[in-house]
Amino acid sequence: MHLNFGKTLLTSLAMATLLGTATLVLPAQAANLRMAWAQDATGLDPHTQTAFSSLRLLELIYEPLVRLDAQYNVVPAVATSWEFSSDGLTLTFKLDPKAKFSTGDAVTSADVKASFERLLDEATAAAARANFLSIKTIDTPDPQTVVFNLSQPDAPILVAMSGTNASIVPASAIADGSVATKAVGSGPFMLDEWDPNVKEVLSANPNWAGGKPGVDGITISVLPSESSIIDSMRANQIDFALFNDPTIATLIPGEPNMTLNRIPGLAYNVLQLNPSRPPMDNVKVRQAISCAVNRQEIIDTALVGEGKVTGPLTMAAFASDPASLFCYKQDVEKAKALMAEAGLADGFSVNVIAATGEPPYAANEAQVLQSQLAVIGVKLTIQTMDLKVYVDTWLKGDFDMAVAQNGGRPDPYPMYNRYFTKDGNLIKVSNYADPELDKLLQEGRVETDIAKRKPIFQEFEQRLAEAAPWIWISSTVTYTANLATVKGYEINPSGLLFSLSKVTVGE
Amino acid sequence: MNYLLQRLLTFPLVLLGVSLLVFFAIRLVPGDAIIAMLGTEAGLLTDAQRASLAAYFGLDQPVVVQYGRWLAGLFQGNLGISTTYGKPVLEVIIARFPLTIELALLSMVIALAVGVPAGVFAATRNNRPSDLVVRLFAMLGQSTPSFVFGLVLIYLLSVNFHVLPAMGSFTPLFVDPLGNLAQMILPSITLGFAFAAAVTRISRSAMLDVLSDDYVRTARSKGASQRDVVWKHALPNALIPVVTLSGVEFGYLLGGAVIVEQIYALPGLGRLTLDAISQRDYALVQGAVLFIAFNFLVVNLLVDLAYAALDPRIRLGGR
Amino acid sequence: MGLLRAVLRHPSGRIGAAIILLFLVVAALGAIGLTPHDPLKQYVIDRLKPPSGTYWFGTDLLGRDTFSRLMLGIGESFLVAFASVAVAATAGTVIGLFAAWWGHLWDGILMRIMDVLLAFPAILLALLIVAIEGPGVATSITAIGIVYTPIFARVVRAPALALKGREFVEAARTFGSSQPYILSRHLLLNLVAPLTVQITLALAWALLTESGLSFLGLGTQPPAPSLGVMLAESKSMMTRAPWLMVFPGLTIMLAILGFNLFGDALRDILDPRTQERPA
Repeated sequence: MHLNFGKTLLTSLAMATLLGTATLVLPAQAANLRMAWAQDATGLDPHTQTAFSSLRLLELIYEPLVRLDAQYNVVPAVATSWEFSSDGLTLTFKLDPKAKFSTGDAVTSADVKASFERLLDEATAAAARANFLSIKTIDTPDPQTVVFNLSQPDAPILVAMSGTNASIVPASAIADGSVATKAVGSGPFMLDEWDPNVKEVLSANPNWAGGKPGVDGITISVLPSESSIIDSMRANQIDFALFNDPTIATLIPGEPNMTLNRIPGLAYNVLQLNPSRPPMDNVKVRQAISCAVNRQEIIDTALVGEGKVTGPLTMAAFASDPASLFCYKQDVEKAKALMAEAGLADGFSVNVIAATGEPPYAANEAQVLQSQLAVIGVKLTIQTMDLKVYVDTWLKGDFDMAVAQNGGRPDPYPMYNRYFTKDGNLIKVSNYADPELDKLLQEGRVETDIAKRKPIFQEFEQRLAEAAPWIWISSTVTYTANLATVKGYEINPSGLLFSLSKVTVGE
Repeated sequence: MNYLLQRLLTFPLVLLGVSLLVFFAIRLVPGDAIIAMLGTEAGLLTDAQRASLAAYFGLDQPVVVQYGRWLAGLFQGNLGISTTYGKPVLEVIIARFPLTIELALLSMVIALAVGVPAGVFAATRNNRPSDLVVRLFAMLGQSTPSFVFGLVLIYLLSVNFHVLPAMGSFTPLFVDPLGNLAQMILPSITLGFAFAAAVTRISRSAMLDVLSDDYVRTARSKGASQRDVVWKHALPNALIPVVTLSGVEFGYLLGGAVIVEQIYALPGLGRLTLDAISQRDYALVQGAVLFIAFNFLVVNLLVDLAYAALDPRIRLGGR
Repeated sequence: MGLLRAVLRHPSGRIGAAIILLFLVVAALGAIGLTPHDPLKQYVIDRLKPPSGTYWFGTDLLGRDTFSRLMLGIGESFLVAFASVAVAATAGTVIGLFAAWWGHLWDGILMRIMDVLLAFPAILLALLIVAIEGPGVATSITAIGIVYTPIFARVVRAPALALKGREFVEAARTFGSSQPYILSRHLLLNLVAPLTVQITLALAWALLTESGLSFLGLGTQPPAPSLGVMLAESKSMMTRAPWLMVFPGLTIMLAILGFNLFGDALRDILDPRTQERPA
């Protein structure tokens, strides 16, 4: 009997072993890329989706007029060429005559016009609407030519047009209201099936102007955690995956058959102070906090060394050296002096909110901040909350401080005008406006000469860092990882996944 | 039988209570359903857009009216439309149910295959060292959180033996039985472990009870072998509590194993409901919880019936 | 006291009692700050150190001493477990007694409400409650307390009903004892046995449920760690720093084992029927 008992256990274990290895030798379907992520897309409308994962999915299906290459240069997508008029008031695009939607219909100037009119329609609630407000009218002299007439010179508009949020959708889909449900685009893949929180099935778009993708299809599995993704990759069940958690991603270089691709992101980790609430309404207190924080230490601990210390501007073309910004090197003495000047030498207590698992290190980041700020008497009480509740609270600006990870843009104007100008649609979140910042943002927006824009935005950055409504901490890194069998993956800042169109899977 | 009749009558009442509880509880969860639907940066919505979305999902009505509508729909088999899936709730649930049933069945099979022999064996060795070893294991099984056991299992297999749980995209049973089993075996063992521990303990104590019964002594005195006494005469009666326990446990497992599904990346009923709560998918949470409660009540009713049918003492007492 | 002596004579009761006592002592030491290191202090240069003479159970990602954190964590987890069982036992006993005492319609209503709570999947009910109130110690206590209330209501109601019909209660009634007096004096005294057993076993379940909730990201607020929170944090560090999983894992198993052994011994001695509610 005793033996029997042991045998049963042994047999079940042996069975597990056998079956486990059995799956190892099953031939991989060569032409299908098995991909995984932990956060599923939340919707299919490229104009309204803001969730990172939705945009990742949609960049495989839709194309904007232009893209950015690895150096953030504007390169062709649906449009093959473009030109600003000398007064900066018209922007003319020539469309690719080969560009077709997955239905086989050509992408025409009428589709572009309809897409941008939809974007500008307030009822659409388009995520990028604010970036296109300078568009006065759109002309379509012929099916391959689109002319945007602008109300004022607008340099960032071209870069704004490279985003998935400015994708070209068929005019017919806009007319029958099926944009959010059908997902018909001119990109490399078509969406065949979507089982939310479980999987997406994509197949190559035979009509794609870019030619035939390297794989026949992509299956995206939604796995509940990034540790289970790495386990599946070890088991040769997943070829390619997206990672956000640096503690998981940094394990990949130690894995024999996997490659980690690091993509420095424009998003940034930040401690948002709420300057409408005392004592954070006192600039000295905010500065004291900025001086007390050791940014590099946060990166070394909570972020396992991933990312760099950054000021407000995360894009290389405009960013200043963080060392030149106000108190970016920890200076506890100065911090204490500032607290004393503010009449708060004994410190104070505040709440800081953080979302559970978003970003994955939010709670750790908050705890390091808590211990760093305790040194100058600022006592943080951490309140972690469910992401949905956090977003609610964040949108209402109902917090003392917030640990946040905010998205970036390739251009400073669209990145910060929504937070730090008095008409910005997220001014309630920052609770901080300053006429001087307003002025600098406007100047930078209308200036078309890159060489002149840079000093304007550097002044903006200096001023923002010194006023310290927020404590910028670090730039982010997003990761993709692939098995050795996946060839040809290149990093593209317009999209982590777009280059999957060139990838091949082989043995 | 009177008791069972009463159970049948209260069945719809309890379900109604569950429906009330889940309906109002999910609405107490903070976090705007509309914002949850649209994700971050939903601050871009104008009030008019928000209102029209709310109207589309019927969220603009007073809560009591919403409940009334939902209840009326239930009677026509309409559990509403899921906001995340854009499909009827029942369809979404039914798609996830086979996996949950399979997982529940497999872990029950494992639990019975391990637990009954182990329990019977321990009972025949009452208080000898081998009995104590079995009891210790059973005790440990009941004291180990499923995710600790699951994580240890994954860790040991992946780090030491390089045999990995086959996770990744889920393979349904009828598409690829072998591939499906490869994915289900570890989750089933994880769930089956604690379940087996419970079965071991209850079959041991039931066996001890039965072995001291008169009729078993009679059989023994008539010269039946120890083996026959244990397996032929005693076991059938000792199994009665095992059946009850397994049935109740099975009823719980049909509700989905939230944590095990989470560890092994299985798209079962538990994960579905968990996701639905975090996405504030009201209709789906309501539908799923009601569905789970319904199954639980049905299984429990069946267990009671089986118990009455199996136990001669109850039948005698009833008449 | 006779009961305690009997449990201590029972072999598994003795082991269980020893484990529980050990944990209580450790938790008390942690609560008054007698830990080898400050459990919240981040020794930045000593991040992710394996177990050593300085850091007995190693350090975590932020350089905090795992052993000291465990001492604190045991306290947090026990606080949640004891408080939630207290909530459940009190609420359940009151409901069970009233149901039995008033009988008829009230019995039906109260017990159907308990049935509703029982039919509601336990972990989902707890999850919903945490979602409503926001994570934290108080919420975990409420959630686990509510989930286990129906168990106690059932455990109390059955013997209370049986006792209600017995002569000495009837006699007390006819002799004009006031209702509260009868309730407390006779019924409660006779309910001690099933309640003690149920409480001990419920403590084991409460620890299990707390760790489950924490695993799903809904535990105590940082920086205070419960055992479940420590385990959840170790998930992504499993291959890099296995000690972060091993020690909290063993601790929580041992704690649950302690209550299970103690409860088992009690059940052997007192032999009442118990109710199960796996999470």
